[in-house]
Amino acid sequence: MSDITEIIKGIEKLRPIPQVAHKIMSIAQDPETSSSELSDVVVYDQALTAGLLRMCNCAYFGLSKTIDSVHHAVVYLGMDQVVDLVLMISGAENLKKRQDGYDLREGELWRNSVSSALIARELAEKKGSKNNHLIFTAALLKDIGKVVLNQYVAGSSEKINTLVSMQGLSFIEAEKEVIGIDHAELGAMVAEEWNFAPKMVKVIRNHHLSEGLSNIDFETSIVFLADTLCMMMGIGVGVDGLAYRFHSEVLEHLNITERDMQEIMAGFAGKIKQVEDFINLS
Amino acid sequence: MNIVVTVSDMKLSNDPETLISTYSLGSCIGISIHDPVAQVGGILHFMLPESKLDPIKAEKNPYMFADTGIPRLFDEAYDLGGKKERMKIAAFGGAQILGQKGLFNIGERNNSAVRKILSKNNIVLDYEDLGGSFNRTLKLAVKNGRVWVKVSGKGEKEI
Repeated sequence: MSDITEIIKGIEKLRPIPQVAHKIMSIAQDPETSSSELSDVVVYDQALTAGLLRMCNCAYFGLSKTIDSVHHAVVYLGMDQVVDLVLMISGAENLKKRQDGYDLREGELWRNSVSSALIARELAEKKGSKNNHLIFTAALLKDIGKVVLNQYVAGSSEKINTLVSMQGLSFIEAEKEVIGIDHAELGAMVAEEWNFAPKMVKVIRNHHLSEGLSNIDFETSIVFLADTLCMMMGIGVGVDGLAYRFHSEVLEHLNITERDMQEIMAGFAGKIKQVEDFINLS
Repeated sequence: MNIVVTVSDMKLSNDPETLISTYSLGSCIGISIHDPVAQVGGILHFMLPESKLDPIKAEKNPYMFADTGIPRLFDEAYDLGGKKERMKIAAFGGAQILGQKGLFNIGERNNSAVRKILSKNNIVLDYEDLGGSFNRTLKLAVKNGRVWVKVSGKGEKEI
């Protein structure tokens, strides 16, 4: 068992989410807000603006016009999309690096994060959710705990793998058993440290449904399902593989059939090249 | 030359210097095919078992599905000079999330689709590494048909 306090201290080594992301989140959640308020906050940050414009102009969005200002971005892509892009750019730094403990090459964790977030957003929209930004951001940041836990997983990989292969534990159960804390718990602590809403903390903590199904909410279900689909498609999957528990009840709860599941996968794979370009630009 | 096959894609070659790889097979399946005499090889990385899910998508990208992708893999190998009786065929992937049962178990359904399509055409797999909950990467040398599989966290091995 590792020293948990020492592990938690690792959270401080992460690059904190920029203040502008919080401002954007609160603007996005306020129904009274106007698009110029959003633009005003973004243009103030030059690096963010440059990143945003670069991404708006990639093939993923397929716009015929070149977007050359934040105002234009909001007009052509809509406020919701721009908010998600800003959140993505804000969250990228920590998640792009290689994570040897999880056998993830540089960019792999990020590929999983963005893909999960895009799928979660699509699912949320389909189901008429009002909490799209929270779902997008939670899916994007759900594995931030892996960045903190990476070195400890590296040191315990043999024990963890044995518990998974010999005793039928899921990877996250084995993390908890061997190290004393798992990546979802740590991720929730990071979200708390970064002052995210309690709801977001909750979704990240339970994104593998390790706390059981009794209190399962819509947002967590969506993020869980998006993550499941990414694992099945092998997007940014490492040493943990697909060794997480499946819960068909979640699909029932969301009224999603196995056919819907396949359709989402087919839809995502159909645009995978544009998604890859999009991820590489971010 | 290195060629990478992405998800829902297929690549073949008759250039002996070519290595064909496909990464991150979760529930998807990578099928490698190789004729040592013609020095023809290829990999199909399909994602779902049946094209009836979405015939329009299957028309646009037949490599997404087992039933439209596998016949094309063989047809293209024949076009490049490959012969069925000399062909070595191997399949990898078809993994599943723990406790994924019945219709939800797309990995297992992909595995069944491969078996069904191949047996219908009197083709036997020379090697398979299917199922489990691992993430696999596959590599094929066109020159001699050597195949390597890497399971994340466990290193690479030649089959």
